[in-house]
Amino acid sequence: MWELIQTNRRRSIVLFIGMGLSLLLLGFFIGEAFWGSDGWIAGMSIAFLIWLIMSAVSYFSGDAIVLAMSHAKRVTPEIHPRLFNVVEEMKIAANLPTMPKVYIIPDIAPNAFATGRNPETSSVVVTAGLLEKLDRDELQGVIAHEVSHITNRDILFMTFSAVILGSIVFLSHIFLRSLWFGGGRRSSSRSSSKGGGQLQLIMMLIAILLAVLAPIMAQLLYFAISRKREYLADASAIRLTRYPEGLASALEKIAASDINLESANKATAGLFIVNPLIKKGQRLTALTSTHPPVLERIKILRSIAGGANYADYQRAYSSLKQGTETRTSIIPPSGIQDTKKIELTKPGKREITAESSRRKLDDLIRTLNDFVFLQCTCGLKIKIPPDLKVNNISCPRCGRILEIPLSQLQRIKSRWKADKATNA
Amino acid sequence: MNCPRCGKSMITLEIKEVEIDYCLSCHGIWLDNGELELLLRDAKRKEKLLQSFLLTSVPGEKPLKCPVCHKKMLQVMVKKVLLDKCRHGHGLWFDNDELQKILEMGDFDPDNTIKKHLTEIFNNKEAKGE
Amino acid sequence: MGILLILIGLIILFVLIFIGIYNSLVQLRNRVRNSWAQIDVQLKRRHDLIPNLVETAKGYMKHERTTFESITKARSEAMSAQSVGEKARAESNLNGAMSKFFLVVENYPELKANQNFLAVQEELTSTENKIAFARQNYNDQVLFFNNKIQMFPSNIVATMFNFKTSEYFELESATEREVPKVDFTS
Repeated sequence: MWELIQTNRRRSIVLFIGMGLSLLLLGFFIGEAFWGSDGWIAGMSIAFLIWLIMSAVSYFSGDAIVLAMSHAKRVTPEIHPRLFNVVEEMKIAANLPTMPKVYIIPDIAPNAFATGRNPETSSVVVTAGLLEKLDRDELQGVIAHEVSHITNRDILFMTFSAVILGSIVFLSHIFLRSLWFGGGRRSSSRSSSKGGGQLQLIMMLIAILLAVLAPIMAQLLYFAISRKREYLADASAIRLTRYPEGLASALEKIAASDINLESANKATAGLFIVNPLIKKGQRLTALTSTHPPVLERIKILRSIAGGANYADYQRAYSSLKQGTETRTSIIPPSGIQDTKKIELTKPGKREITAESSRRKLDDLIRTLNDFVFLQCTCGLKIKIPPDLKVNNISCPRCGRILEIPLSQLQRIKSRWKADKATNA
Repeated sequence: MNCPRCGKSMITLEIKEVEIDYCLSCHGIWLDNGELELLLRDAKRKEKLLQSFLLTSVPGEKPLKCPVCHKKMLQVMVKKVLLDKCRHGHGLWFDNDELQKILEMGDFDPDNTIKKHLTEIFNNKEAKGE
Repeated sequence: MGILLILIGLIILFVLIFIGIYNSLVQLRNRVRNSWAQIDVQLKRRHDLIPNLVETAKGYMKHERTTFESITKARSEAMSAQSVGEKARAESNLNGAMSKFFLVVENYPELKANQNFLAVQEELTSTENKIAFARQNYNDQVLFFNNKIQMFPSNIVATMFNFKTSEYFELESATEREVPKVDFTS
């Protein structure tokens, strides 16, 4: 799969330069619009500086930015042993050099993504809702998909794009705002220099146009290349778990959810396993520029037969796309040539989600938000928010005085430590 | 979640799989929409109960804000007890004295499930060992 | 003079090739050892977890002495196994004993709801998955290494320095090839 990794490196460079050029262009016109005929020098130098800083920041701490944007919390194994186990299983299967960092987003909408610079510094992120909705096999499928993004070297590109897309959207937003509020002042300065007035007006129009177009263009550039990645990550995931049904039914459940992920935005949407920004009820069939329709991914996964290597996935893909895109190759040549037979695993017993899973989900979100849990001997469970700083509490049911156990405070402390280790 | 009466952070109490939010300083109780549904075991019954409450307004008393959506809540009358109900259906608020009144009252909701649950927590002689 | 130089050059070339082959053999052998170490860690973890599971289950399963005895026996055999082949055989037996145990667990709904039991069961499931995934990796490395030992010209170097082919880690009977699924929440 080395040529895939190679391609991803090349694409990252193209994106890096492309983004830089469009930023410079934007700087040119905005400079002209604001500071008159010599303004392009200032505009372009500022744009160049922004480009440099942005690239450096997104390379060195892009993952931290994306994680902060999605309100993800670093977790310790005690908080969710099964999640850690499944990540470690996939780490072994994919032969990753180190264990990825594990994060949970305290949100009830099911979804997941991966981020990082390279396999040595990578993170896997899932939402609390995902953990509650999926059984073990399904969770394994999702984690395998995310770990595949890590091994296929997709994460750097995806994180980079998310940060740059985010800042372009942000910058043009600021520009449009300042134009809106500063309009009056400039009109007076224009009347004083009659000759340049018309030119400046044209420049200004172009600047507005660019400020509107730039985010859209950036988005297109970013999304045009990421659909193939999703298919490929599905194919690699099956190669790891050897159990297509796990991922297929996970995708089905995620797409069927009608809850919106609150922390997702335009910039981070492309990272997730299923696009979180599609309106409810349309997730299964919607074709967006970032993600192929989920229904199609599920169909391909379910028609895989005979084995779990890349050629088997390509065959399933081609037979589904009969006539229209039969020749389209999802898998790079070296993947197809890898003909080693990988047996599919037979389905095991399915778990049935427990009735009280909603309560478990709420409690998981509370754990992530550092609540303290007490169980009084009279049977009452007490959950105390972190901003209520008390050393003991009187049980409202039986009046017993309950001390806050040290183990819980330590749990919270160790989570904080893990969080801090990320930011460093 | 913060108490609509005094603004302090509320604690959550869970018994028999149903949760309520409780303010330690003013002893008021917030019953969440989902928890009401869990208690009554049916969404329709919950709606019916909420609809049966009579809208009133008490002059001079400032309306409380819903702890979920922070919009002003409606004041409703239930058998001589004044409660606050979120207009977007996020839940019900009982002040401390309102709670006592309900516990002392003969019947509150059709099957008295809400009353039973509240009694289970706040008026449980067995648990107190009295 | 010229011939001598060519001869010296050839000798140096051979020595270099020789060193290259030797080094790659060592490298491959180390990879086999590393991936074996990964399996070994998980096997040990599994052996440690089983007594925990048995202890939790004993309270609920009073009349299943034979089941427990066969697990304990299979476990101690697996722990004393030395070579890769022996270990594979012993682990297969242990797998068999564990599947029987989990079949019996089906009759004890209270045990299946026990939080402690569920936690150990999750650990055990995961450890077995890890063994399965690590095994795949180990067998791949063994394949590379054994090929190198048997093929010309590296086989010459291999025999000179006594490199021996490694054993594959195969779990024997077809039914136990798969990791036993231990989900009993349904």
